[in-house]
Amino acid sequence: MTTTEPQSRDFKKLYKKEVANLRLRANLKKATIQALDKRNDSFAELDFDLLRNEAKKIKQESVSHLNELLSQFEDNAHKNNCAVFYAESPEKANAYILDVAQRHAVKKIVKSKSMVTEELRLVPFLEKFGIETVETDLGEYIIQLAGETPSHITAPAIHKSRTEIAQLLHDKIGIELNDDPTFLTGEARKALREKFLSAEMGISGANFLIAENGTAVVVENEGNARLSTSAVKVHVIVTGIEKVIPKFSDLRIFMRLLGRSATGQKLTSYVSLIRGPRRQNEKDGPDEVHIVLLDNGRSALVGTEHQEVLHCIRCGACLNVCPVYRSIGGHAYGSVYPGPIGSLVTPLFFGPKNAPDLPFASSLCGNCTEVCPVGIGIHHQLLAMRHEIKAKTKRGVEAFIFRTFRKTMLRPQRYRLFSRLARIFSSTPIVAKAFKGWTHYRELPKLPARSFREIYKSERGKE
Amino acid sequence: MTDDREKIFASIRRGLRGAEKSAALRSAASPLTSMIQHGFESLFIKFKRELEILGGLAEKVENERDVSAFVTDHTEPASSLFIYDDLANSLKSIVESLSVNRRLRFGSEFAAGYDKREVAAFDAALIGCAACVAETGTVLIQTDMRLPAALAPKLFVIVERSRLIASLDEVFTDRFGNSDASNLFLITGPSRTADIEKQLVKGVHGPKEVIVLFLNQ
Repeated sequence: MTTTEPQSRDFKKLYKKEVANLRLRANLKKATIQALDKRNDSFAELDFDLLRNEAKKIKQESVSHLNELLSQFEDNAHKNNCAVFYAESPEKANAYILDVAQRHAVKKIVKSKSMVTEELRLVPFLEKFGIETVETDLGEYIIQLAGETPSHITAPAIHKSRTEIAQLLHDKIGIELNDDPTFLTGEARKALREKFLSAEMGISGANFLIAENGTAVVVENEGNARLSTSAVKVHVIVTGIEKVIPKFSDLRIFMRLLGRSATGQKLTSYVSLIRGPRRQNEKDGPDEVHIVLLDNGRSALVGTEHQEVLHCIRCGACLNVCPVYRSIGGHAYGSVYPGPIGSLVTPLFFGPKNAPDLPFASSLCGNCTEVCPVGIGIHHQLLAMRHEIKAKTKRGVEAFIFRTFRKTMLRPQRYRLFSRLARIFSSTPIVAKAFKGWTHYRELPKLPARSFREIYKSERGKE
Repeated sequence: MTDDREKIFASIRRGLRGAEKSAALRSAASPLTSMIQHGFESLFIKFKRELEILGGLAEKVENERDVSAFVTDHTEPASSLFIYDDLANSLKSIVESLSVNRRLRFGSEFAAGYDKREVAAFDAALIGCAACVAETGTVLIQTDMRLPAALAPKLFVIVERSRLIASLDEVFTDRFGNSDASNLFLITGPSRTADIEKQLVKGVHGPKEVIVLFLNQ
């Protein structure tokens, strides 16, 4: 197993641990309900369906012309004096970023939030080579200090209470023990300000890449991405190849959808539109901008029935409405991409063998599909993936049962024999034992002593 | 270091080979643009409401003297203010007035490669802007010096009323899309986070206070 593969094979073990954590469930419930209420309020004055249809059309167009748009983006990024590097695998992306850092003798990197860098496990990779790499988004900083991974796409420390965070910051950076969020945020600001002022390199993701003018768009609320991309000598943007969209004007749609879907904001506090290193007449900004475009399984999805997964803008709305996510939290998925979209993305990017159970971690209620701002039929996709996984796995007892059931239902005599046997044995301890997993929380339905046909026959005889 | 470009492009080509032939790329923007013309007053009411919901402040001021008075009222005596060159050059009387009891520094005093620590020490930054957006209470800045406005705890934006536009539809156009500058920032209210139990806290890494003054000139 490479270092970048997820731990999703352990899903069955992980979810059992997490589902029993009542404090985690309380934290998640509070946070996700609040996020959902804000999202719904923020869409009140807009036609969500209209925007969603437009967004879906743009994303469909982008994926169907992916090579053309990537070439166009690359040409324009070069004109803007950016270096562009395509990486087929996480290993290649990591090696390139390390090479850039080593060529500039970088000792310290400030990093803003990016799911793709989580996918690369970039921070532990760089730290292995002695390069201090500091997460600067408050939530990410907290979980970096805790030695954990994010549990939500947009709210990485959603699983932690203020008391836990206060204790963590007290232990790790030596601040007074005080669980007031304003105090804790102020102390983190002080600690991170020093990092911004001393770092030589910054790493960010990009929410969108604009083909027609080579712009990288970075969306955030804290101002840390703005500093990570401005207060450094070298800036590396790491993102997936599917983030490219055709036109600058397409942002009219996505900017209205992303903030609302993610955090219930009409627009996030900062949108940085980056077009390369500082120009000659500019006094600050990086001297070099590198754009790393990661594939890692994305190109293989083009033309398949899972192609629309490439439309995802990582807003996290599907997590907030998912009854499974709300019960088990993000860590149970064992992947950097949790929740309904993570249950799709993880097996697709890392292979179904690494996440065989994730497509089954859904009630298929369809809430995720309903809130998706780019119209991904998430629960339909999950169902399709279940079929694919089942078709590939060995047929065991379950397959035998269904085969027998099918044969029974096709012949009336067999059906009558089966139902008679079922009525005789349904109340015996043998059946209760065989179904003990199912009957642990439920009762098996009691079958009537006689079938409808038998009752009909005997009643008819009386007339 | 070799790049995987050709492998990735080949993989995409294989995927698209079996797919239905898609329509050509659009040559124009999708038709959602609403260039509704509004008067300044109605746009200002909308801008003020949106910005103040987020914890910012928007005011109309008549002249440069009012701007100076406002900034003086909203900063501590002897505090240090950074003033961007474009603003300092166009509004000279603000500079003269504020220099009486505030420590002023200007963009022109800093050369490329300046000391970041020096800039991080300012109490406030005064900046002009390319446009303001009423729909979201957003300020657009395009600057030759990114850090003072990103680091100062308090940000004053001083803007002519004619720069107030109605919606984001007008931002994502060639007017701002084809600039030669390396950056364009959209700032919507104070820096904020809700990473600790979803409780909103302002002033995480960027300004805690954002004040926009619309000048009647």
